[in-house]
Amino acid sequence: MPTVVLMDASLSMTRPVALEGSEEFQRKNLAIHGLTMLFEHMATNYRLEFTALVAFSSLWEVMVPFTRDYNTLQEALSNLEDYDKTCLESALQGVSNIVQQEWGSACPCQVVLVTDGSLGIGRGSLRHSLATMKQRGDDKKFPLPFPFPAKLYIMCIANAEELQSSDTLDNLEQLLILSAGGGQIFTMEGQLCLKSVQSMFGKLIDQAYTPFHAVLRCGNLSSDVQVFPRPEPVVIDEEVEPTPMTILTDLEIVGFIEIGDISSPPVLSRHLVLPIAVNKEVDEVGAGTAEDAEEESSTNQMAGKSPNFCVLLHGSLKVEGMVALVQLGPEWYGMLYSQADSKKKSNLMMSLFEPGPEPLPWLGKMSQLGPTSDAKENPYGEDDTKSPFPLQPKNKRSYAQNVTVWIKPSGLQTDVQKILRNARKLPEKTQTFYKELNRLRKAALAFGFWELLKGVAELLERECTLLPDSAHPDAAFQLSHAAQQLKLASTGDSQYAAFEHNITPMVTDFSGGDRDRM
Amino acid sequence: MKMFSFSHKTAFVVDHCPYMAESCRQQVEFDMLTKNRSQGVIPLAPVSKSLWTCAVECSMEYCRILYDIYPTKKLVNYIVSDSEFHVLNSWNQEAQNTQELMSALAAVGPPNPHEDPECCSILHGLVAAVESLCKVTEYQHQARTQLMDTAERVCNRGRIVCLTNAKSDTHVRMLEDCVVETILEQNKLAAGSDRLMQIQQCELVLIHTYPLGEDTLVSDRPKKEISPVLSSEVHSVRAGRHLATKLNILVQQHFDLASTTITNIPMKEEQHANTSANYDVELLHHREAHMEFIKSGDLHPAGSTSRDSGLKETVTLKWCTPRTNSVELHYCTGAYRISPVDVNSRPSSCLTNFLLNGRSVLLEQPRKSGSKIISHMLSSHGGEIFLHVLNSTRSTLEDPPSISEGCGGRVTDYRITDFGELMRENRLTPFPESPASGVSGKVPLERAKAQLERHTRYWPMIISQTTIFNMQAVVPLANLIVKEGLTEDDVLTCQKTVYNLVDMERKNDPLPVSTVGTRGKGPKRDEQYRAMWNELEALVRTHVGGGDRHTRVLECVSACRSRPPEEEERKKRGRKREDKEEKPERNGKDSEAEKTWQEPGERLKGALEREKEEPVESEVIKDSPDSPEPLNKKPRLTLEESQPPEKAKGPMSLLTLWTNRVNTANSRKHQEFAGRINSVNNRTELYQHLKDENGMETTENGKTNR
Repeated sequence: MPTVVLMDASLSMTRPVALEGSEEFQRKNLAIHGLTMLFEHMATNYRLEFTALVAFSSLWEVMVPFTRDYNTLQEALSNLEDYDKTCLESALQGVSNIVQQEWGSACPCQVVLVTDGSLGIGRGSLRHSLATMKQRGDDKKFPLPFPFPAKLYIMCIANAEELQSSDTLDNLEQLLILSAGGGQIFTMEGQLCLKSVQSMFGKLIDQAYTPFHAVLRCGNLSSDVQVFPRPEPVVIDEEVEPTPMTILTDLEIVGFIEIGDISSPPVLSRHLVLPIAVNKEVDEVGAGTAEDAEEESSTNQMAGKSPNFCVLLHGSLKVEGMVALVQLGPEWYGMLYSQADSKKKSNLMMSLFEPGPEPLPWLGKMSQLGPTSDAKENPYGEDDTKSPFPLQPKNKRSYAQNVTVWIKPSGLQTDVQKILRNARKLPEKTQTFYKELNRLRKAALAFGFWELLKGVAELLERECTLLPDSAHPDAAFQLSHAAQQLKLASTGDSQYAAFEHNITPMVTDFSGGDRDRM
Repeated sequence: MKMFSFSHKTAFVVDHCPYMAESCRQQVEFDMLTKNRSQGVIPLAPVSKSLWTCAVECSMEYCRILYDIYPTKKLVNYIVSDSEFHVLNSWNQEAQNTQELMSALAAVGPPNPHEDPECCSILHGLVAAVESLCKVTEYQHQARTQLMDTAERVCNRGRIVCLTNAKSDTHVRMLEDCVVETILEQNKLAAGSDRLMQIQQCELVLIHTYPLGEDTLVSDRPKKEISPVLSSEVHSVRAGRHLATKLNILVQQHFDLASTTITNIPMKEEQHANTSANYDVELLHHREAHMEFIKSGDLHPAGSTSRDSGLKETVTLKWCTPRTNSVELHYCTGAYRISPVDVNSRPSSCLTNFLLNGRSVLLEQPRKSGSKIISHMLSSHGGEIFLHVLNSTRSTLEDPPSISEGCGGRVTDYRITDFGELMRENRLTPFPESPASGVSGKVPLERAKAQLERHTRYWPMIISQTTIFNMQAVVPLANLIVKEGLTEDDVLTCQKTVYNLVDMERKNDPLPVSTVGTRGKGPKRDEQYRAMWNELEALVRTHVGGGDRHTRVLECVSACRSRPPEEEERKKRGRKREDKEEKPERNGKDSEAEKTWQEPGERLKGALEREKEEPVESEVIKDSPDSPEPLNKKPRLTLEESQPPEKAKGPMSLLTLWTNRVNTANSRKHQEFAGRINSVNNRTELYQHLKDENGMETTENGKTNR
């Protein structure tokens, strides 16, 4: 889940903060202090997050495109210049553009907006944007909600009292509602100082950037893991089940399935599963001292040498070409598999299926999957050549069952032609002739298209008269029999027009040999 | 996403009144002249469908598409109306398929043109539709019982699609008013019933259909709210293909469908089998499959076309020849069932048959420039075709640290193959859903978890942590002991495995002990065996809870395993008598083999030390002539004890050390030749059995163990 830090670089950010005694701070300095703390936290605990830094005033500019290099972000922060007035709308449009360009419109993002809360006046101000929102055409739509799922965190370098004196908070709240993907407005508590900005960013970190730790289990084997990016809560049906589902911190493997059998299932999201050392203490804020780092690297080395279940699992999944099904919650499942990137680096990956008892139709109900040893005979075959998957649905789909559709004349013509073609090859094609005839008969009866039955009957009668001398005598009998049966059906007489009834070949002296085949 | 939206329940009401028997006045030529027919034949007159036939086949097409894309949870209740109403099916899932409806429609037959038009009305059907919408579907019932106290969250909405021939706009208004009234009435009834649900919202789609060439008496009207519970729209359409097009558009609107045209499908020509022309096939599927295009505003890329005066849009995707193989796991963000628009056309059936045969096709976004982007994949699973949406944008997970860089990444001797074996044994398989099917009353998935738990009770992850799992000889026991229940035969096999190990130990067979990380020779042979027995006991002990038979296996292991010498001494006396009875014959032979079945190095040493050994050995035999264990132990103990003096005598040459090492390594790789094992001074007599058969038959008769 990439992050965009949207930093207010307008002149109002340079307003000094009244501090007794010590040196003078600008709001901008406080903002930078807070962001530094965020970046340091991410560098140590959330390393794989891509972050971009965008500065805005009346214009906007990408200071650092998406990167995992937090030093670069840090550096850019310290080189931030001051510009003119705040114009949030165009900046949000900018965020929308750069995210879509980089990640498309399906990738969820987090936007951290850092501002002092003076959101401009007149044209281009947030108040103006919100007021005129509804009177615009499609080409100038307000950028929120973003086309991609987004969480919006608004960090106000101002305290709540200050903001309440204007309509700033109302406007920001409206922004949050518009963004529709969740988020929060953070304000500073008490005096504006380094400490209060720290506590504000600390709250953001707790809420949005704490790593997700879990235990991956397979029977009695287990490993502590970090799941990255954090799996987000999912709402299945906002009407019936409005409470979001979150995944368990105890991920239990329930069994294994071949990659070919699970066959590219649709997933909600993908996550890296990274084994972590058990006793490692996660430091809470910022980077540790140099000593800590040394210690950490040595514990890492130790951890590298002691066997870990994740590595074993990954290796076997890769070699065997299988996936592990993992339970994420009650009626929620996912799969673990080995994923190699272009550089041949391999990793253990977890994909989450849609919550529910039956996320993949071709596997059936998850709870009904059991061990092969319970089956009477091995469903994979003794020589491992069979598979119980995919499951067949109860009813065949229309394209798999030769349905009759006559909406276009060509559909009807093809079906009549088929009958005629077979009629000319009687008695060899007796079976197919009657099969096609019955198919047409059934459809005509269902559609109430009796006129067609009469028409085809006439057609067959004519065909009978056109039979060449060399024709098999049985052909004439079958044709006139079929024609007669169709005529009877076209009367709607329940004796002959029953849907389930089939016209069967006439038993003649000539067709005696065919009887066995019928 | 709402499960119980309008589309959960659709009531089809089709007019079966006499005027529907009228011709739609579009003729269908069915007697097509073929080339090779005689010239004189006059083709038969074309046929023409009635309004009823048009209405029925278009509504069936609507249902066909619906059932293809939503086999469950989107339900249709088909009602026919003339002088009374006929409900052709129920909301039950089993009743939801076109065959069932076709059969019921055949029973109804076409309208009777001679029936009194005064008694007939579409109203009977509309009233029945409202009543039907109040009925609880199995899904609603299930959701309500699950939610219990919040059951009111389960909504009851529905749609009525009415195909009729109305007389005028006033007639239409009358029909609408009647539906509103019926809903109010039925809601009152439903309020007092547990089996019925009040209709919260209802959407009425009135389709007025009339023969070609006639002027319409009813005007189109977009959706309008008639009352808080009812909104209504009116479509006035000519019968025949116009009606078909309308219903195709409606099914897309009602069920959030979108259209994709697969283009450039190479297909063999019937006439010229070696050439292929390119065809297009249009498919319908859930709109979500186009989300990426819709959001990015790319809905009208270069290839997209707009037909039928902008009412219908389709996204064009190009067939991509390099096919994908099924063992590749694509990153797929959605999979949606499809239905071909023109299901019986040759291109459609060629494509669907190709897919149903198990092949997948990647689809490419047509672009004017730039690299090609594979955005979708068509693939069938169990006779159903799905359009998979593939992720085509940059991944946020790119360039992750390799697993070898993380925890446990430096370890190189994981039991990858063994765990692969475990995974194969713990593959899942579907079980039919029935209360009795679960063994011991557990759902299959819980049984799968339980099996995994059993299989991993004792499972060292790396090769150097285990001896028993590196030994072929242990496999039968290791495979059986994890079973939930053992049979008598299983116990026997386990016991045999244990005896076999005892045998190996007696013969002093080398064990596949990993020497990774140890310097020098590693632990002594008997220590290795002790460790092996400890491990085996640990494995078996974890399964003792499995029942009596598991316990018997443990008992067998405990009874047979070797122990440290002191303990051995103590036990020896107790067991002597038993052993005497059991193995009276083998002993002598074993001791014979014992001397030769040693590692070459030891044999060399053994030869040197033979003189020293002999008295000890005889002493032991004297002490316990029948017990194999002391025999096994003692000589080796003396051997080891004798090592220091040997070393004192003079160091071994480097060559000897090296040869010993190579021989040891080799001996692990294959079973030693029987001849070499039994050889005396590297010589063995061939065809011994002949001798046995000829001259020593008498002695053999007495043997019990042959």
